[in-house]
Amino acid sequence: MTENKTEQDVPSATPSKGALGEFPPWLRRPWGSGALFESTRNVVQGYRVHTVCQSARCPNQGDCWQRRTATFMILGNVCTRNCLFCSVRSGNPARNVDLEEPLRVAEAVRALSIRHAVITSVTRDDLHDGGAQQFLNTIRAIREINPHTTVEVLTPDFKGDVNAVRTVAEAYPEVFGHNIETVERLHAVLRRNGRLYEKSLSLLRFVSGFSDKIIVKSALMLGHGETRDEIVKTLQDLREVGCQVVAMGQYLRPTKSQRAVQRYITPDEFQELEQIAYSMGFLFVTAGPFVRSSYRAEEPISMLKEKRFGSVAR
Amino acid sequence: MKVEIRLPELGEDAEEKASVSRWLVNIGDIVNTGDDLIELTTDKAAFTVPCPQNGVVVELLVEEGDEVVAGDPLCILES
Ligand code: SF4
Repeated sequence: MTENKTEQDVPSATPSKGALGEFPPWLRRPWGSGALFESTRNVVQGYRVHTVCQSARCPNQGDCWQRRTATFMILGNVCTRNCLFCSVRSGNPARNVDLEEPLRVAEAVRALSIRHAVITSVTRDDLHDGGAQQFLNTIRAIREINPHTTVEVLTPDFKGDVNAVRTVAEAYPEVFGHNIETVERLHAVLRRNGRLYEKSLSLLRFVSGFSDKIIVKSALMLGHGETRDEIVKTLQDLREVGCQVVAMGQYLRPTKSQRAVQRYITPDEFQELEQIAYSMGFLFVTAGPFVRSSYRAEEPISMLKEKRFGSVAR
Repeated sequence: MKVEIRLPELGEDAEEKASVSRWLVNIGDIVNTGDDLIELTTDKAAFTVPCPQNGVVVELLVEEGDEVVAGDPLCILES
């Protein structure tokens, strides 16, 4: 089986690539190379940490890693869900949790001198707390040995378990991110569960209400066949639950086993969406073909802290 | 001295397979560190591979349409 059947469900406006060179000209990135890139790779391998850069086959790896930054993926590299857009391996991690992982991540952060660490995870529906404790432990471990590093988490939905979300929030990451991923209608298709949209909004609402010291962030990947109105509606929903930072990027199919791209959004359209989002009151918006929630995530941090608290605390 | 330029490895789980879309240099070209040598496409996007050192291109080891994986030699430079 080479192609996923669900690709035929939605008519394809701009067919994804079949043969060579069919990507629009703006979808071009540097392949990871050079001494700095290699030093990042060595740290990642040396400390045996997983990165979403690798597992999601992120096209920005060449760019980010040669700036010596990476996004760490905790709780292993096997996910209990199987979303159609994602290349992270799916399976049953059988409740295994590597208790030394938080320290290894913290040490990798130190080895790379990362000033703003982004931590995400696979979804662990096999764990009673969805892995929340591991998030908490990782944040603490990072802070312990990197006292000047700010922390951003990008969490799964913890099946909507408020206690799990609270566990992570109680570590007070500077940024709490949870990606809504796509518009409401497409959740049923892409994530095999239409109710996950509401679950994600509830999580963000909870974090917004938990503390105004935490910046709440979300992200959308576009190009799945959503309409402009649906995007705007999603942005409105995000604002309503108190989300302050949003990232919008182009969905790119990691391998042929994932769902095909339905449409390539042009850089101009991304710019327009960025303006729309700003006009809705988001404090910081990034939009562009290669934008991911973790891409250059450090950039708005000092600005956001200043805007919200009048001074840069950390 | 002749040096073989290889496609750098990205690490475990990463995209390490690509097909050659086109060369961005020719035999005889003088190239510098950072110059784009070749364009590749993966399932996800198009990539350019920067040159790791200065030199003159003396041999191209892959051609358009070839499948390459990380670690494969791409071309030979005389430096
Ligand atoms: S954008 Fe994020 S996931 Fe992609 S390479 Fe950069 S840090 Fe890694």
